[in-house]
Amino acid sequence: MTRPLLLLASLLWVLLASAAPAEAAPPHVTVVARPDRVSTTLGDEFVIRTQLTNTSGADTGQLLVHLNIASLDGRAYVDPEDWSSERSQDISLEPGENRTLSWDIQAVNSGSFAAYVVVLPAGGADEPAGALVVSPMIKIAVADRSTLNASGALQVGVVVPVLLGGLALAAHLRHRRRA
Amino acid sequence: MNDVTLDVVRLTKRYRARTALQAASFSARQGDVVGLLGPNGAGKTTTIRLLSTVLTPTSGEFWVSGRPHTAPMEIRRTVGVLPESGGYPAYETGEEYLFRQARLFGMTRSTGRSEARRALTAVGLDERARSRISTFSRGMRQRLGIARALINKPTVVFLDEPTLGLDPAGQIQVLKIVRDVAGAGTTVILSTHTLHEVEEVCSQVLILNRGKVLTAGSVGQVIAGAAVEQSAHLRVPLDLVEHAQQVLDRVGIFTAEHLQGRRGVLKIEVSSSARIRPAERPTMLNKALDAMVSAEIPVLSFELEGARLSDAFLQMTNTEAT
Amino acid sequence: MTTGVDVAGDGARSSASGRDSTGAGWLVLGAQECRDLWWSGRGPLLLFVLSVLLSGVTYLTATNRALNFLEQREAVNLVVQFAVALGVLAALIVSADGISGERERGTLETLLVTPVTRRAILAGKLTAALSLWFASFIVSIPYIWVLAGGVGIMGQALALAFSYGTLVAAGLASVGLLVSALSNSNKTSLAGSVLLLLVLFAPTQIPTGMPQGWFFDVLVRVNPVTSALAHISAQLVQGRSWTQDLSYLISPIVIVVGAAGALAIAGNRLVRLTAGGGSG
Repeated sequence: MTRPLLLLASLLWVLLASAAPAEAAPPHVTVVARPDRVSTTLGDEFVIRTQLTNTSGADTGQLLVHLNIASLDGRAYVDPEDWSSERSQDISLEPGENRTLSWDIQAVNSGSFAAYVVVLPAGGADEPAGALVVSPMIKIAVADRSTLNASGALQVGVVVPVLLGGLALAAHLRHRRRA
Repeated sequence: MNDVTLDVVRLTKRYRARTALQAASFSARQGDVVGLLGPNGAGKTTTIRLLSTVLTPTSGEFWVSGRPHTAPMEIRRTVGVLPESGGYPAYETGEEYLFRQARLFGMTRSTGRSEARRALTAVGLDERARSRISTFSRGMRQRLGIARALINKPTVVFLDEPTLGLDPAGQIQVLKIVRDVAGAGTTVILSTHTLHEVEEVCSQVLILNRGKVLTAGSVGQVIAGAAVEQSAHLRVPLDLVEHAQQVLDRVGIFTAEHLQGRRGVLKIEVSSSARIRPAERPTMLNKALDAMVSAEIPVLSFELEGARLSDAFLQMTNTEAT
Repeated sequence: MTTGVDVAGDGARSSASGRDSTGAGWLVLGAQECRDLWWSGRGPLLLFVLSVLLSGVTYLTATNRALNFLEQREAVNLVVQFAVALGVLAALIVSADGISGERERGTLETLLVTPVTRRAILAGKLTAALSLWFASFIVSIPYIWVLAGGVGIMGQALALAFSYGTLVAAGLASVGLLVSALSNSNKTSLAGSVLLLLVLFAPTQIPTGMPQGWFFDVLVRVNPVTSALAHISAQLVQGRSWTQDLSYLISPIVIVVGAAGALAIAGNRLVRLTAGGGSG
């Protein structure tokens, strides 16, 4: 009695094992960012480079690499689009391959910020969700500098119309006087 | 020396639906004053605009100071124009306005200033040289326009209705300027409705109607050519009217009858039965006056009718209309 | 009243030594038209209105500390676009009065009987209209300087405003003159020109959040005003090179060549006592 039961259990186990989808082994990608620290001044441009390496034995498939920037001191509202116009790049890596991506960034706010790159498996909503890989944080310190000239704007905003208004008035009076 | 300044041969201007001027031909010499007479729409302004190169002729030819109509820029340097409805910049002075015009004729600044002053003096506006045009009366504006037409010392001046809207004093002033201009040797082409102006200043007359030249010639030629039947209105003291009538009857060549509505006035005509040649008819009426003088009848007034340009004009334009 | 008339001479022979070359007729006329525009007070008044608008925009921008660096560049771009738009509008309004205004005031006939060619008349009118654009640009310089200096794009902003503004102003002023030459009344000419300008500026008012497909892109590029302004924006705000996407320059160049060419070719037929109909 025991032997048929054991046989039946084994058969069932084999059937179940073959029916269940095997989970794909997630490709392993490492991200290294350089430099890890940037000190710059408001308005200046700089470049961040991120090296991605496929450390697994399988192709990564299509990956979406996305740059994000956040304010660390909460002083400024950060719109990442203002910092960099190209914040997403697509790559795929073969086993063991590494590639470096460049990110052109302009410091449009002053303060303390962090930039990081996230690697997402590309694909539609039906595709199996994979793990996220995040680069180390790049600290960005942006020194403020005076770009607004409020007093100058006030002076110009008053002097120019006054001058032109005076000219217009003078021309008008000249005509009236010549009757 | 050929002093013909304007020669026009079969000048025609047609628009799509109408002919504004048809085969006009005439010529003018230095110092001539040519009057263009005609009702509204006769083609007077069109003629002036064609000859001043503002409009392009449909056919025909003309020469101004020997320059053909195919060289409009050359013609513009030698003509001056007073348009019928010309405007003026209100905020400029007369002197500034004429200086601007002089510059457009290619004069230097210094020459332009002196010519502007000369032209203003010529039309009697020298004392108002620095006044704004907006303060000018209508007569002054007309004179300014004539000054502008004279700024480049033209050979031919076209004046389109120069006395339009002027009071009698203004008309006299303008006509005097016209005489002076012609007297200095400039040919004047004068478009007008006012017949007495033509009689006063014009050496030649063109009568136009509906784009056609009805007649051309001196004032006398035009009147004679119209062959308007002439008569005379004789006014004598009321108590001598019958006696005057009898005296005229005895002359034998007149018919004399009381003029309706005017007491003491006799209308005298040369009798059709009298064998008088048409060319002699106008002077025959003088014999009526002689008869009054001989009969010692006081003549209060004696007016010839039909011997005026207005009579010829009306006769021609009415005939053409029918 | 004294009258005295000099002996008439052949107009071409007399005062020969006192004549400039009549080939410079357009210069004389252009100078006169400019004098009319500026000494009459019209020009200074238009510039005054422009300066008041620019003052408002500039001051609000310069005192807004919430703007980030990129937004300040956008503000400079805004002032440049204001200056170009208003300067071009002013030039268009002046040119729209060019021929139809002379007809209405009754001064065209006296102009036509001078030995100044029809083309020279048009060139003189165009010169006066463009003088208003150049003056508008000069007025905008201090505003651009005060805003753009801090973000390091002053030279670029001024160069773009001048070059693109001159191109568009020349094109639209030529179009305005064409409309004026084809109109018997100033009202028709001004209305036509302003309507044209509104049509040209309308696409710039479409909210940026709305879907802007290929048709909108074509609309922007075909329109010389929006095309020029878009190319300015691309360079000032997005930092692109002027050689990138040169197709933006096609419509401004086509307009100026086309309209100015039409004036040059058809000038004799356009400048007549009455617009349209008949061989004038």
